[in-house]
Amino acid sequence: MELLIFFIFGGVAVLAAFLMIISWNPVAAVLNMILVMFCLAGLFVLLNAHFIAAIQILVYAGAIMVLFMFIIMLLNLRGNEPIWKSRDKNVLLSFLGFLLAVGAFIKLFSTLKASGLNQGTQIGEDFGTTALVGKILFTDYLLPFEIASILLLVAIIGAVMLAKTKID
Amino acid sequence: MIVNRNITMTWWERIYLPEIFRGISVTSNHFFRNLIGFIPALLNKDKKRKIFTLYYPDEKVEFPPAYRGRPVLVVDENGTERCVACGLCEIVCPAKCIEIQPDETELEKERYPKSFSINMARCIFCGFCEEVCPKEAIVMSDECEIADLDRNKMFYKKDQLLISKNKLQKRLNYIKEIYGKWNY
Amino acid sequence: MEDFLITTAKVLFIFGLNMGVFAPLLTWVERKQSALMQDRIGANRADILGFSMIGLFHPIADAIKMLAKEDFIPEGANKIMHTLSPIICVVPALLTFAVIPFGGEYVIGGKHIKLVIADLDVGLIFIFAISSLATYGTVIAGWSSNNNWSLLGSLRASAQMISYEVAMGFTLVGVFMVYGSLQLTQIGAAQESFFRWGIFLQPLGFFMFLACAIAENKRAPFDVAEGESEIIAGYFLEYSGLKFGMFYMAEFLEIVTISAMVTTLFFGAWHIPFISSALILSMLSFLNETLANIILMLIHISVFWVKVIFFIWFQMTIRWTLPRFRYDQIMKLGWKILLPLSLANILVTGIVILILQ
Ligand code: SF4
Ligand code: SF4
Repeated sequence: MELLIFFIFGGVAVLAAFLMIISWNPVAAVLNMILVMFCLAGLFVLLNAHFIAAIQILVYAGAIMVLFMFIIMLLNLRGNEPIWKSRDKNVLLSFLGFLLAVGAFIKLFSTLKASGLNQGTQIGEDFGTTALVGKILFTDYLLPFEIASILLLVAIIGAVMLAKTKID
Repeated sequence: MIVNRNITMTWWERIYLPEIFRGISVTSNHFFRNLIGFIPALLNKDKKRKIFTLYYPDEKVEFPPAYRGRPVLVVDENGTERCVACGLCEIVCPAKCIEIQPDETELEKERYPKSFSINMARCIFCGFCEEVCPKEAIVMSDECEIADLDRNKMFYKKDQLLISKNKLQKRLNYIKEIYGKWNY
Repeated sequence: MEDFLITTAKVLFIFGLNMGVFAPLLTWVERKQSALMQDRIGANRADILGFSMIGLFHPIADAIKMLAKEDFIPEGANKIMHTLSPIICVVPALLTFAVIPFGGEYVIGGKHIKLVIADLDVGLIFIFAISSLATYGTVIAGWSSNNNWSLLGSLRASAQMISYEVAMGFTLVGVFMVYGSLQLTQIGAAQESFFRWGIFLQPLGFFMFLACAIAENKRAPFDVAEGESEIIAGYFLEYSGLKFGMFYMAEFLEIVTISAMVTTLFFGAWHIPFISSALILSMLSFLNETLANIILMLIHISVFWVKVIFFIWFQMTIRWTLPRFRYDQIMKLGWKILLPLSLANILVTGIVILILQ
């Protein structure tokens, strides 16, 4: 049963990701990406990580993709502009993209092989609960957490400074 | 565009929340007054609700005598119209919607309108005709539901305009009082 | 098997109550209440065999009208997304109810029954996650209609909803700091005594949450996304028939959801002030345990829904009292007032909790 659900979520995720890459219509691409986020959240739920799943939907599907959508609509991209056509038949871009994909896959497979995926790990009773995630985040991983927050703060301030520049 | 209306708000108004509550208290006051006023009417106990709105086509307002509905011709006790076809109303009418054809008659008044028509589609209910009439023969009634989809039907003939004096007594008394002030 | 039956019963109860009672009835309530507030009479023309029942048949008439209308898809519109977006609007409004408890925990026939469909550990975050998806319904609706007014409406809607989502999240941080849980059943259970209700512990949080929630729902005074007088109807301008009705249904369901959330978080969920469930149980001690628990359950369910209905009334009153904000005022309220205030609220709450510990 669990395996079946896993394959459904995983399959839909891969399919949606593929559709996202090939679709000409930017809004359709965004929608497909949302679908990917959903399936990922579903996979997290299967792994008992409810908190991560909820955050995944809240942050990615609920906030970031809405911003994507907002920008696409603000610029009113319709998917038939010449700028989109220009990536057609661009040999250099295609080659670089292909290289990136191959590299990523090689790295992925080698990591998976080394990690010994088949053994599986025992998880505790309270795995994935909010309390546990919070505890780990604010004790063991406090430094990365704070660094990430400072990074975001810098980004926000930078964006505000850029946006504040008077045009006239 | 933001228009500067030079309104300075006090601190109390600026926090907005108290003002919201004031507004809500006003509206909910109306709500509850009407809600409770509904109950007797619902139980058919009391026909007079607290709401002054009427269920219009079912219930109708009784207009005050000052109301100017469609102009009508007054029929006297002897069964003939008062109008002597002097043509004053025809001339004074700003919308030029009255048409009169005078004729002679054996009666005391000697003249009578053979045909008298008012184009209600053009009448603006100004009441000038009533004011100018020397015989108080044309008065404004309290009928206002004269709309129609056909323009030809809005062309009121004499027989449609005749209304007996008893029905118009209120308006007749009223114009006597109101125009009497200027001693016509 | 038994668990499955119980869960099905709960789902059917919530679904039936929302779709069968609240969604149709609220269209009537909205008309009638606005009429009463404005000294009018309101809808009363629809009748069956001469009985108009103070307009209660209007929802039926509406349903027939919507079913009979032409389902119009404008030229140049994206057909799939145009059809999909009303559904995307309705589903989150319904899904949120999965984690909202409409009663406590009862022992019936030796079984512990919790009156909540899914007692998730991440309850509140689940609600945020799901309700943030409602944005897509409006955004896609506006975009797929291929109409400039719709696009403007959905642009306004998305900007407004993103802004208020942030503030809404922060307003509730104070609540789960006070109760120490994200689980709505636990938050509800913690409000057993009257003075532990959320409104006393987080008064500022309540007002800010209500403002944010109404803004999320895009109702007046935050209805620039619809703005009948400026952009006709905003994002659902190009919709007709059943799809148009679904947008309205989503709006009304969201009213119910907001009311239920306010009740659960700030107004003592299913508890009656000063009367604890133990007291009721001891009064019912002459009955056997199962029967007493069933009566207690019914009392709690009705108390919860009475509170919900009160907040529905309150939201309707706000909607028919306040005029629409200007767009810059909405943004100012969201980013410059509500967000800093909610952050300050978190800070103060944290300090107080630290001192009391
Ligand atoms: S002014 Fe009076 S009397 Fe003269 S024509 Fe008109 S209605 Fe008749
Ligand atoms: S009310 Fe005015 S417009 Fe109408 S018929 Fe009399 S004078 Fe003419």
